[in-house]
Amino acid sequence: MKVYVVYCHPDADSFTAAIRRRTIEAFEASGQEVRISDLYAEDFEPAMTMQEEANHLAPKHQPEIVGYCDSLRWCDTLVFIYPTWWSAQPAMMTGWLDRVFVRGVAWDLPEGATRITARLTNVRRLVIITSHGSSKLINLAEGETGRRVIGRAVRVLCHRFARTTWLAMYNLDRSSQSEREAFLDRVEQRIRRLSSPPQEISAGRKW
Amino acid sequence: MRVVVVVAHPDPDSFNHAIASTATASLAKAGHQVSLLDLYGEGFRVQMSNAEWRAYHSDRPLLDPMAERHAEIVKQAEALIFVYPTWWSTMPAILKGWLERVMVPGVGFVLDEKHRVRRGLTQVRRIVGISTYGSPRLYVRAIHDNGRRTLLRALRLNTAVLTHRSWMGLYKVDSCTAAKRAAFLKRVERKMQSL
Repeated sequence: MKVYVVYCHPDADSFTAAIRRRTIEAFEASGQEVRISDLYAEDFEPAMTMQEEANHLAPKHQPEIVGYCDSLRWCDTLVFIYPTWWSAQPAMMTGWLDRVFVRGVAWDLPEGATRITARLTNVRRLVIITSHGSSKLINLAEGETGRRVIGRAVRVLCHRFARTTWLAMYNLDRSSQSEREAFLDRVEQRIRRLSSPPQEISAGRKW
Repeated sequence: MRVVVVVAHPDPDSFNHAIASTATASLAKAGHQVSLLDLYGEGFRVQMSNAEWRAYHSDRPLLDPMAERHAEIVKQAEALIFVYPTWWSTMPAILKGWLERVMVPGVGFVLDEKHRVRRGLTQVRRIVGISTYGSPRLYVRAIHDNGRRTLLRALRLNTAVLTHRSWMGLYKVDSCTAAKRAAFLKRVERKMQSL
């Protein structure tokens, strides 16, 4: 597996940072190739500029986004790790989608067509790992837009049969240490299961 | 009524800015007190900084003078109007960042003693969203209009109980004729006059 992790949190001591550590460890322990983009640490500029907006049909790739585009085209598993703020990704990550998902990388518009076509067909699995300060009930009422942005709007640009894995921690603001540990364990188990090669599973079957 | 119009588009000559100025002019004509917040024009910072994140649950979560000024305006507002282009099914990062950095505890919502979120914008009685979309309406509805969900659901949970919310969308904007755009501006004008 070629795993590309997009990570977004301003603080290196946060729970989201702990999720990131466990995720990377689990992928690497099972021998997967991992690339990571830490948007805050790399000082990514999230505001789409006037030039980029005007040239979105014939993009001149800014030098600072070329590396991200390259990793997007390289990976087969795309992982998003972020805290949920106002029911969606932090603005930093929204801006990353706005600026990096350009024509020729994430989508294309063939001559004469009226609809865009998917170009991230190399991506066969999307993984979303996020935390919510409030309860699941509140987040359902709010509409869980972050989940939909990736599970639907990004998903339609990926491989036709791309699968989505959703791992969410709720009630983080009122959680105990053991609940947070339990979530990290769950993340690790899930990542290990995703990374285990399919022949191991079939070897366990007796027929 | 005191009304805030928030516009998020990088190009001051864009159709989104035309919508915002039409809305502002019609609101003023109808006798409302209008403040226009042009996020790109003012150079609003998109991302929450580490210092702001650490101060989020403190007594003074607003560290940036611009965010503080916007928060003062929002606290007085009785109607919030958002104008933005929909990108990847949601609002531009700058508007999302505005929600994160201005709608902090004590402005957008309050936390009770059990650390539960409670309404903070109880003076707001109307939310209007106006957005332009590259895709046709049916596609937008199928893929889910996430910017609309954030404003009409997540933000709506923090405003007055009987907040009236409405949405106006201009679909397939890339192939839209000048006549359709003009008709849309007329609709915006009528909507604002009957606010």
